[in-house]
Amino acid sequence: MFKFLSVVVCLLLLGACAPTMDGEAPEALKPGVDASFAYAGDRVGHFGFGQDATSIQIAGWDIDVRPDGQGLPVGSGSVADGESLYEEQCAECHGSFGEGVGRYPLLAGGEGSLTDGRPTKTVGSYWPYTSTLYDYIYRAMPFTQPVSLSADETYALTAYVLYLNDLVDDDLVLDQDNLASIRLPNEANFGPDPRPDVANTRCMQNCRDPNLIKIVSEVVSEAPTTLPINERTAVQSQQHPGQATYDQYCSICHNVGVGGAPTLDDAANWGVRLSAGVDVLVSNAINGMSSASGVMPAKGGFVHLSDEQVKSSVLYMVENLAASQ
Amino acid sequence: MSQRELDNLINSIAQAGHRVSGVERRRFLKSGLLMVGAAASATSVAGASESVGVPPNIPPWSKRLGRGVVSHPYGSPSPHEAHVQRRTVDWLTADRIASISFTPLADLNGIITPSGIVFERYHAGVPEIPPDQHRLMIHGLVKRPIILSMDDLMRFPSQSVIRFLECPANGGMEWRGAQMDKLQFSHGMLACCEWTGVRLATLLEEVGIDANAAWVLAEGADGAHMSRSIPMDKALGDALVVFAQNGEMLRPEQGYPLRLVNPGWEGNTWVKWLRRLEVGDKPWYHREETSKYTDLMADGTSREFTYVQECNSVVTSPCPEKPFRVKGKYMIQGLAWSGRGKIKHVDVSVDGGVSWHQAQFTSQVLPKALTRFALEWDWDGSETLLQSRAIDETGYVQPTYGQLRQARGTNSIYHKNAIHTWKLSPQGIVTNVQIS
Repeated sequence: MFKFLSVVVCLLLLGACAPTMDGEAPEALKPGVDASFAYAGDRVGHFGFGQDATSIQIAGWDIDVRPDGQGLPVGSGSVADGESLYEEQCAECHGSFGEGVGRYPLLAGGEGSLTDGRPTKTVGSYWPYTSTLYDYIYRAMPFTQPVSLSADETYALTAYVLYLNDLVDDDLVLDQDNLASIRLPNEANFGPDPRPDVANTRCMQNCRDPNLIKIVSEVVSEAPTTLPINERTAVQSQQHPGQATYDQYCSICHNVGVGGAPTLDDAANWGVRLSAGVDVLVSNAINGMSSASGVMPAKGGFVHLSDEQVKSSVLYMVENLAASQ
Repeated sequence: MSQRELDNLINSIAQAGHRVSGVERRRFLKSGLLMVGAAASATSVAGASESVGVPPNIPPWSKRLGRGVVSHPYGSPSPHEAHVQRRTVDWLTADRIASISFTPLADLNGIITPSGIVFERYHAGVPEIPPDQHRLMIHGLVKRPIILSMDDLMRFPSQSVIRFLECPANGGMEWRGAQMDKLQFSHGMLACCEWTGVRLATLLEEVGIDANAAWVLAEGADGAHMSRSIPMDKALGDALVVFAQNGEMLRPEQGYPLRLVNPGWEGNTWVKWLRRLEVGDKPWYHREETSKYTDLMADGTSREFTYVQECNSVVTSPCPEKPFRVKGKYMIQGLAWSGRGKIKHVDVSVDGGVSWHQAQFTSQVLPKALTRFALEWDWDGSETLLQSRAIDETGYVQPTYGQLRQARGTNSIYHKNAIHTWKLSPQGIVTNVQIS
């Protein structure tokens, strides 16, 4: 009834609510369905937000290079220049011969390994384009100092990595005009995505012979990282002995700083108080104190607390403070 | 508790400023004594601390004050949920700066992944970017190259969508056999969030693209300047330039203050810390779309620009982290998702794929979003091979390992979406297995 009424009101007032027969929202307004406005064509400057990008601004950020050489800056570098730079800047991770150190990437070798059980994918064995090498070295290397190399240094390192892969002679001088002409051996082996490339069917019964099912690999699991609910009590019982007292009594003021009480995330405030030593802090908490920075009633006013409970709570606060730093 | 101690307690409360009338005082004393008696008997009967909150006991937290408002101005999960964490697998990468961590899927409910436990993938660590200093440059084959501040960007019309985010290497360690001991590591390069941002199409309309514009290069402001080529169909389709996640600004780990979101496509294309969009007529073939994120086939050829994350599913309960304890009724639960649209069906097998049972959806079914399923099952305590199989709205049926290997071999690394098998032992322990 309510729905009917709202539809009528909607029609009367707006005329164009267009509810569907069953009262659902129109398709475009359903949650999860993209609003149905397609590319509207050029509306250049329709909103007019932002600033026009100047050619100098674009040049500062436009670092990308394409396989056809578009984007390569003017510059040059030789294999020989690259060798010394490489030893200085790259060998620590990639190895002197591009063999890789630890789990850092190999840069050379692996030719003919792509159909092996364990293929070795390097610039020489796998990468399709030389431009990618230049582009990546400049934008991301050396790992700890990206975009720190000059164009000449980047050309030189590109030349040297090509040389490590036996793809160029040692007298190569690489520059913006010849880089794109150096083709890599695996280029022709890349092609488009043909997926979906498998066609399973939705069988429901007798889909396979149960006698042919065998476990071919299994990972023996360690103990579950997640404790079942009934085992979590053990974790709870390991809480700091002072926490219960803190939670029940002291937190009332110290969680939020009532009466100048230092909160657990106020390290500076605690630092001053701790400078006199924890014993003084405990003594003040038990016996009470008053200063310009705040008032601490004896045992926070909860005089039934034992000295030990108060001390324990103070230690909890101090340790919790340390844990949050 | 002695009478003297009780008097002290009452006095202390009075000193603390509470007004205690005579009637209330007597009532308090009486109930206090009753509670002391109850506590004593509970201790003697149960004798175990875990029964402290169990009837007929009145638990201690019901008998005292709790934290006040804004004691945690930005709240955190309960300390009892401290085990729900992102975790990494150190042998996967050379260091933790260019590395990956995994979402704790076993502890998630519903379809939204909390922002703080969304898996991480960095190529040069997380840059710390002051939003007032961040800029998005849009240039190339456009009529009006522009530079947008975050304020500029957020003035454009924006929208919010719930979409999954998955690294194409999710499960990539298992092409040759079962290898990861937990659900977190076998499937945890996966998350689903609400994303809020401006359609990339809106920005491209604003700058006006040239007739030969066919690709967009997206580039990050991190040290890796991570970059990917995006075809114009996607850019003008459902791609979003996103500034918010699950209702708040993006987390630094997820690209604060700005990232690209390509729904249904591999996470690597969702360029984080987005600083630049260049429109061009050809793809750029950068490192993350040649050396990496290309799929090597058994014959030595490779597939490039393999963007779509195909239909996939996994049982999340039981799983290695969520073993069964006793025989009896359970809801077998799990997650399904497809980069091509909505999930149409999910089937569950408890006999290694001989027979299948259609599961129910237990969440909203949204396109390109995680979807929850469940099937009631009575476990008799025998060893069981559990599987799930998702079908999406295109009719695509999640494949077997055999079918995937037949088509691609075992060196592909990326886009492994095979039907996954858990072995449930008579002890209720769950292990990751692959079956013939």
